[in-house]
Amino acid sequence: MKIIDFIRGRTFYERKERSGIFFVSIAFIYFVTIYYYPLIQSFLFSFFTGPSSQNRKYVGLATYKKVLSDPLFLLSVKNTFYFVILAVPTTIVLALIIATFLNYVLNKKLRDILSFMFFSPLMISFVAAALIWEWIYHPIYGLLNNLFLFIGLPSQGWLFNASQAMPSIAIMQIWLRLGFDIMIFLSALQAIPGEYYEAASIDGASGFSCFKHITLPLLNPQIVFVSIIELIFGFQVFDLVYTATHGGPTNVTRVIILHLYETAFKWYRFGEASVVAVFFFLFLLSISILQWKFRRTTTY
Amino acid sequence: MNKVLKVCLCFFLIFLALIIFVPLIWTLSTSFKTPEEITSLPITFLPKNIFNLDNYIHIFAYSAFGRYLLNSFIVSGITVVVSLIVASLAGFGFAKYNFPGKDIVFFAILAILMVPFQAITVPLYLWSIRFRLIDTYQGLAMPGLVSAFGIFLMRGAIESIPNDYLDAARIDGASELRIYWRIILPSVKGSLAALAIIKFLWTWTSFFWPLIITSTDKVKVVTLGLADYTNMYFVEYNFAMAASIISIIPLMVIFIFFQKWVVKAMILSGMKG
Repeated sequence: MKIIDFIRGRTFYERKERSGIFFVSIAFIYFVTIYYYPLIQSFLFSFFTGPSSQNRKYVGLATYKKVLSDPLFLLSVKNTFYFVILAVPTTIVLALIIATFLNYVLNKKLRDILSFMFFSPLMISFVAAALIWEWIYHPIYGLLNNLFLFIGLPSQGWLFNASQAMPSIAIMQIWLRLGFDIMIFLSALQAIPGEYYEAASIDGASGFSCFKHITLPLLNPQIVFVSIIELIFGFQVFDLVYTATHGGPTNVTRVIILHLYETAFKWYRFGEASVVAVFFFLFLLSISILQWKFRRTTTY
Repeated sequence: MNKVLKVCLCFFLIFLALIIFVPLIWTLSTSFKTPEEITSLPITFLPKNIFNLDNYIHIFAYSAFGRYLLNSFIVSGITVVVSLIVASLAGFGFAKYNFPGKDIVFFAILAILMVPFQAITVPLYLWSIRFRLIDTYQGLAMPGLVSAFGIFLMRGAIESIPNDYLDAARIDGASELRIYWRIILPSVKGSLAALAIIKFLWTWTSFFWPLIITSTDKVKVVTLGLADYTNMYFVEYNFAMAASIISIIPLMVIFIFFQKWVVKAMILSGMKG
């Protein structure tokens, strides 16, 4: 009985405190076992050969050296950066333009219909999006090439062409992510008081200078926020590539996570996969830290 | 701004919206076409028979897609229910109680948001082998059962409930769990709905973990079923598009009926990452 009394707490305040600890502990224990422990294990595996406990051997930084000199890994890093450069700025700029224009549409019905159309890809999984676009990109029966034919342009290889494959994947990503960014920008734009613009237009400011001197500075926190989110989504690209090209043609769409996936679950080289995982974790962590730093300076 | 410019702007927006929307219409249209129709030139935008449901019937009759759909619903359901309970409990604990180390624990949970899931898949996979979680619903649901984002959301929502309510209930002799059930949960219905929607969306569209942890039809989920359509030599796009449409329907229904909540949830979910 004494133990139960001790656990429950003797006084009212102790009991209250204990219930708080109890409520929080479920989540905490979950995160320690399912996230923190595996994360530490990922670090440990990167210094050993083989994850099975029988033949585990400490190899120091040997696996790191091996991964860093692996041309396939370096290529996948390069491809991922290329993808991010193609997809992320375009998404943000397009979303900013569309959100600004949408904010001008005063007819509520039209605005609702337009936002629905812009937001609808948000409800689609990356895998379904990859399938849909694969069909649109189809060299013979696809919508795009037939459209090109109709207006007199030569048909393109899209996903089958080594130089077009990555841009084609980037278009899928832009299509899918655009709605989210528009949503964030639009909700921020609607919070900007109309008086600001009225005052500016009385002073003779043009539409563009209003955008540059009022909208952009006020949207700064959202722009930083959206950029970070899109960067993180961009670097994590996997589903699209796995479904649409599987890294091909000739590895031009091989991205980091695809490399991680194949190293671990196709070739079962867990040590190397752990090194890739560690690199990836540290890299995204630095982006997240950047976010906190920016947040402090941009929100006031 | 003058009128002409405004009309131009509207048309430009409508044009852009159509570009975004056309792939979906094209998908829907293809899902009603016969194999002959999709492989004939010149292509037609609309199917000959708009209500040709053969592709949909074929999917359910000749593939395990119905089973995948059921599995997705089961896994999403488990994830939503468990994460709502655990996140609201933890949010309650963080918002309304004091105990040593509270801030550190909260920070430790929030820091999870910075861990990309892919970085822990190798150890999680090895665990799953050891604890026989491969090809089980438990294994599928495991990494999504609790979300750090959900706890953050719930803490914020519960903090705004006045302490007097809780103290009044305590004076009347209510236990802490009873307070949670009768006062806390009803007061944060909106945030619970937002979290439920976002968790459902994330689980329904997740691909990486299901790809690793499952191999048999019995537990495969919808996204895996979709990806299988690309493994064939010639992709049968009429079936693939019908399957895509089916996979989109549950989310679209949620979106159309709860648009306000979805937008709220989406904006909040930006926290994840």
